[in-house]
Amino acid sequence: MTELVVNNVQKWLGGLQILKGASFTAERGSIVALLGASGSGKTTLLRCIAGLEQPEIGTIVIGGKTVLDGDKKLALPPEQRNIGLVFQSYALWPHRTVKENVGYGLKLRNVAAADIGKRVQAILDRMGLGHLADRYPSQLSGGQQQRVAICRALVYEPRVLLLDEPLSNLDAKLREEARYWIRKLILDLQICAILVTHDQGEALAAADNILLLQDGRIVQQGGPQEIYSNPNSFYSADFLGANNIVSGKVQTVDGKSAVIGGDGWSLNGTVREAAGVGQSQDARAVIRVEQIKVSDTPATDGIEMQLDDSVYLGDRWEYRLSRGDFTAKAHGTKQMAAGKVWAQIPQESIWVFSGAQK
Amino acid sequence: MSTHAQAPAALPMTKAAAEKKYPARMPRHGNASVYRIVVIGLLALAVLAPVGLIIYQSFLSAAFFSPRAKFGLDAYRYVFTDKNFYKALGTTAVFSFGMVAIAVPLGGLLAFLITRTDIKGKRLLEILVLVPMFISSIVLAFGYTVSVGPTGFLSLFIRGLIGFVPWNIYSLAGMILIAGLSHVPHVYLYVSSSMRNLPSDLEEAARTTGASIWQVSRDVTLPMVLPSLIFAASLNILLGFETFGIPLVLGDPNGIMVLTTYIYKLTTLFGTPTYQLMAVVAVVLILITLPLVWAQRKLLRNARKYVAMGGKGARVSTLKLGRSGQIIALGIIGLWLFVSVVLPIGGITVRAFVDAWGEGVNLFDQLTFANFDHLLDVPSLVRGIVNTVILSVVGGAVAVGIYLMVGLAGHRNWGASNTLLDYIVLLPRALPGLVIGLAFFWVFLFVPLLTPLRPTLVSIFVAYVVVGLSYGLRLLQSTLLQVAPELEESARTTGATIGRTWKDVVIPIVRPGLAGAWALIMIIFLREYATGVYLMGAGTEVIGSLMVSLLQTGAMNTIAALSLISVVLTGAGLALALRLGAKIHD
Repeated sequence: MTELVVNNVQKWLGGLQILKGASFTAERGSIVALLGASGSGKTTLLRCIAGLEQPEIGTIVIGGKTVLDGDKKLALPPEQRNIGLVFQSYALWPHRTVKENVGYGLKLRNVAAADIGKRVQAILDRMGLGHLADRYPSQLSGGQQQRVAICRALVYEPRVLLLDEPLSNLDAKLREEARYWIRKLILDLQICAILVTHDQGEALAAADNILLLQDGRIVQQGGPQEIYSNPNSFYSADFLGANNIVSGKVQTVDGKSAVIGGDGWSLNGTVREAAGVGQSQDARAVIRVEQIKVSDTPATDGIEMQLDDSVYLGDRWEYRLSRGDFTAKAHGTKQMAAGKVWAQIPQESIWVFSGAQK
Repeated sequence: MSTHAQAPAALPMTKAAAEKKYPARMPRHGNASVYRIVVIGLLALAVLAPVGLIIYQSFLSAAFFSPRAKFGLDAYRYVFTDKNFYKALGTTAVFSFGMVAIAVPLGGLLAFLITRTDIKGKRLLEILVLVPMFISSIVLAFGYTVSVGPTGFLSLFIRGLIGFVPWNIYSLAGMILIAGLSHVPHVYLYVSSSMRNLPSDLEEAARTTGASIWQVSRDVTLPMVLPSLIFAASLNILLGFETFGIPLVLGDPNGIMVLTTYIYKLTTLFGTPTYQLMAVVAVVLILITLPLVWAQRKLLRNARKYVAMGGKGARVSTLKLGRSGQIIALGIIGLWLFVSVVLPIGGITVRAFVDAWGEGVNLFDQLTFANFDHLLDVPSLVRGIVNTVILSVVGGAVAVGIYLMVGLAGHRNWGASNTLLDYIVLLPRALPGLVIGLAFFWVFLFVPLLTPLRPTLVSIFVAYVVVGLSYGLRLLQSTLLQVAPELEESARTTGATIGRTWKDVVIPIVRPGLAGAWALIMIIFLREYATGVYLMGAGTEVIGSLMVSLLQTGAMNTIAALSLISVVLTGAGLALALRLGAKIHD
């Protein structure tokens, strides 16, 4: 069931357009991630959905209710949108106990006091916070505060749950746990959730759908695997994963395959640029680090390269490779001596885009 | 899931957007716009009405309620041809700049010693240095009269030693010196806060390149705090133009007049009130002070820019003074404190408990409570004390409530109403208390509906609220800004209207700040003396304004007793403010 429709939302700040027509829908029981670098407009888009920012153009429908309509100059305030928002800083009210923080939304909805108590206790218990009900936020750890913030946004069963970088204030280990249980919770409760993040790992692990934003536009959207392995632009390819970026010129083009080359090297790649590439044009190839296999014995389908150094990373070794002005990083399980090596890169993993490297 | 994979952004941009650079803003629903407009509108009325009435009156040939009043420039003609006016104007300018020349270097030095060195007793000094700011200048001026005036205690003592008194405070130089010394806290306040924010790594960087401590102070510290020094200077020029108590007490006996005392004297000059002339001088005063306030606003913005660059929470390492340095530094501060606090307050204290003094009189033989007994016998004086306490304690609380309402109306507000609010708040700063009091006196005479309120404390209270507006609102606004925006936004997304958010989140969080603000406003109302001069009537006496009118009769015993009561009340207010954790350093 579609809970959220965002259609062509555009927002200006002063003379600057920060959202340039964002459109997407979100379903109940799924998580949509808004992924992008800082300044891409992802948080602004989330705040537009919440009603904390007012876009000038566009429509937003939450749970069948139109909350924003640019043509009719209709913009409902946040409190009339029936949403829950989890802030990056959690924004728990310091003067209220955990119980009062969580119960506030129910109190505003005129739920009977006894009922409030029951529902608050139920959700706190579910999150393992039952024993902290009478504490103040300042007496909780960061992870506990985050869970309280989620309880507060969920307890009144909003149509859409908005999460603004909810994991960025947690330490790395806690973060991986949290993204797992947040996903589980949302699927269990069958909520529609929108997650804003700049961390690709978080988006890939937690979301059903990822919207990649660049400069106020959604440049690509799709499932995690789709968006990771099938980028439609240089930005998408470069934003996700750990990449080698190679600059050169297109030597030959043949339909979807192209040869890109430079000073003393050439690679057979796959054209990924939507508009195609032309002969002898500046081009860039994106190669995911994990797609390069390095061996110290000659391989017929491998390209001969110079191994400059092996760097120990703990769980693996990183190889620094070069051939002319083509430099690359690759991973492997053993240390190799500097010298001649062979790198195997599948043609479908060498993504060729037009344009010179900036 | 996606209906529009990548919606063409150009489509809706066709007509409207092609014509304009960007489309019209969406209306902000649920942003309490009605409340904001009503509150800001009422405030505008409360501030603009009296100012408007002054301007209107200045163009009439007689009092505005007189049937003979005609439009014209007669009043301007009279004032601009009166050589006393030019003399007063010149004196005011000399007085203001002279005051700045004393207060700014001394305030800067004190700020440096207290914030950047390891001077002993820092915590106590930080509070003591501000004391003169909290005492009304009429009390201070009176204090100087009884201690170092021609027949003051110290003067008599010195005369006994060397045969003559080597100073005369009833002169322009004396006035400037006393005003300069008593305005040191105003400078100290701004300069010390900018020095506190100055990270010492900047100074350390200079020292590691080989500069001596004094070179660092001159080449690094001074330029960094220069904006705040300039700001403090402009503030003091403004205060100089508005000052009333010191010129009235010290200048008037020798006929030295400044603009405020010139206005005050116009009342008595002709026997009947010459409202139109007073209005003209008030207009002139506003025309001088308003640009100063403007300039200050600009300066303050620049000063903030400087401070922000330094960054907050920077480690401040202090300069080691050494033994002789400590003695010199404490000596300077001690001497200043002696002259600006101990002399006047000590004088008042002694004077309040003696009836007669002079050469060869042993003060210990004269100790008496008669001054206070007498004070209790006069109903108007008792009422004055009671009214002052009511106005400051209750009125202060109500005023904080009003400032809070105004503060909320301007809280996270955008658009025209907020710009209006910014400018309305500036206006009272340009108006001396004497003029505000006069203007409200006229408003309460002029508006039929308000006339019954004139002989009540309400009229004085309203004027006080306007007098304290800039200071009080700044206190409240800075308190409100401490509430993180997410705390309000999270209430909104949880389902609270903006009113509920203010009630359930904002106000509970700022409550401790409100208590501090109340104590500070209380002190402001306690020390006020000029505003009530015209507004005060039988039944609505206040201590400060009673002293002004008693000065005319020369009832020194009563003034001394009232002064001491005023000092004690202020001290109690200050203690309460510190107890409530008020940020007196803001």
